[in-house]
Amino acid sequence: MTSSAGQAEAVVRGAGAIRARPRAVLTSRLGEYAGFGPVLLLFGGFFFAPLVLIVAYSFWQVIDYNVVQNWTLDNYRYFLSVPTYVRTFIATLWMTALATVLTIGIAFPFAYWLTRYVSRSWQRPLLLLVIIPFWTSYLLRVASWITILGEGGVVNRTLEALGLIHQPLSFLLYNRWAVIFVLVYLYFPFAALTLFSALERFDWNQLKAAMDLGAPPLTAIWRIMLPQIRPGVITAVIFVFIPILGEYLTPQLVGGVDGVMIGNLVVNFFVGAQYTRGAAIALLITAIAVAMLILFRRSLVLEQVYGR
Amino acid sequence: MAAENADVVARHRRVVRAGLGAWAVLIYAFLFVPIALLMLFSFNANRYGTFPITGWTLHWYEEALSNYQIQDAVQTSLQVALEVTMISTVVGTAAAFPLVRSRLPFRGGIRASLTLPILIPGLLIGVALLSYFTNLFNLQLSIQTAVIGQAVYATPFVILVVASRLEGFDRLLERAASDLGADTWKRLRYIVLPLIGPAVVAGALFAFTLSLDEFIITLFLIGGHNTLPIYIYTQVKFGITPEVNAVATMLIAASLSVSLLAFATPALVRLARRRLATARSYMSAGRTA
Repeated sequence: MTSSAGQAEAVVRGAGAIRARPRAVLTSRLGEYAGFGPVLLLFGGFFFAPLVLIVAYSFWQVIDYNVVQNWTLDNYRYFLSVPTYVRTFIATLWMTALATVLTIGIAFPFAYWLTRYVSRSWQRPLLLLVIIPFWTSYLLRVASWITILGEGGVVNRTLEALGLIHQPLSFLLYNRWAVIFVLVYLYFPFAALTLFSALERFDWNQLKAAMDLGAPPLTAIWRIMLPQIRPGVITAVIFVFIPILGEYLTPQLVGGVDGVMIGNLVVNFFVGAQYTRGAAIALLITAIAVAMLILFRRSLVLEQVYGR
Repeated sequence: MAAENADVVARHRRVVRAGLGAWAVLIYAFLFVPIALLMLFSFNANRYGTFPITGWTLHWYEEALSNYQIQDAVQTSLQVALEVTMISTVVGTAAAFPLVRSRLPFRGGIRASLTLPILIPGLLIGVALLSYFTNLFNLQLSIQTAVIGQAVYATPFVILVVASRLEGFDRLLERAASDLGADTWKRLRYIVLPLIGPAVVAGALFAFTLSLDEFIITLFLIGGHNTLPIYIYTQVKFGITPEVNAVATMLIAASLSVSLLAFATPALVRLARRRLATARSYMSAGRTA
């Protein structure tokens, strides 16, 4: 009784103290927010404003190479009315999904191995080794596969030298599968890094306990481990899926005519000064990306990955 | 029976372990073979940049280094990267403080909008800024428009890196400094900056390397200029020339040394500080004696 009265008194006194200096509190609050000033300018002026413009564009029209403010759904309608575009859109979705699944599927056993079977002192250097390709140019990592898989490339030259083939294999490059393959190569480090930082926090004793209690290893991984590292897995999925969805360079370099993705369409429209149609397609991709982000917003653990 | 079982389990474990180890070896090969081949072919006399190896040469390095376009592209890349690094480091570090420290309404929303530029496809930043600059403001595309686009992209990374360092920051240290009479500037100079300094440097290096490598935003915004990735893009559409391989090898060497430096810097600084402290204590010891 007395203690709660004392508490109440303290609270009242505290409130009085705050009320006594309203001006000081206000200025210090403003001072606290001052750090947002520059980012507000940069993002407000050069990110959100252009985004608003591009949304508006997608509902306007281009007449004689000029953007005219006629509000219309024509850009979206046009996109849906051309079968090639719709096919490209659908292909982009399944290519992205498949590349994501493959990337995560390849990276998970690797991250598992690194956290479970490698001694602590070696984990960091070995992880570093995975990230090193990141520091070599993105463009060159894509292009290097032309050197390897192309008609005069390493694979064909080697097979020819061994006498296994007499004509270069042409199915290695310039199709959807080549694009998916190179995408997996490109985005593997993202996935490995994210999954590693999730597994690093996992308590392995729980897995052992589950297996001691008779769970087969895969069941233990599925039922005990996965639910706990779910945020990490989802972050990895998002980090791989979204950039691939908007990928331009990889299909451009190794996709040929058959491997076109939606990003290539966007670029072609903008290069051809059809801004409003390009905007509509770009927004279609963005809508998917944003929907994913909203759906999984609680599971996104960016700091865990980058804040190290 | 139980012992037999344990035997089976142990053998099973060894198999899994070996299998996963082999998997990891395959992955490292997958990651490094393309890069190794690029480097190998940069020394190959074969002008088509492929097998067979017809002889060893440094000719492609001479060509690359004396190529005016490459020199120009490198210079542009460095200029852009330096400007982007300065903008993103200042803007990102400043934003990290209120993001972590003030009582924010809609914190989740603010955090999301600050990281949005890296969560949506970069393509969108490129086309949106292109329309914005050229159609809305009738601006000429230039190095500066590319800098702005890249800064938008690099800043969230700086925010993330610095913010996560600030999260683990013990505010009592500042409170203590304040109680001991330090003003805001002194707290910043002697308490906050030394503690978050490494994160700021890491963020800056992150921004620098991101900028050097950025392709899609730059492609839309740089107009008639070339950064190194844009130049390489114009060259490799139909395969890589040995000259580009030489550039690639030098690029890899450069970014590796920068990254190693980034990793070594905290250790080096610590070492230097310790040496300095020891030297000082010796000196003061000498003086008292």
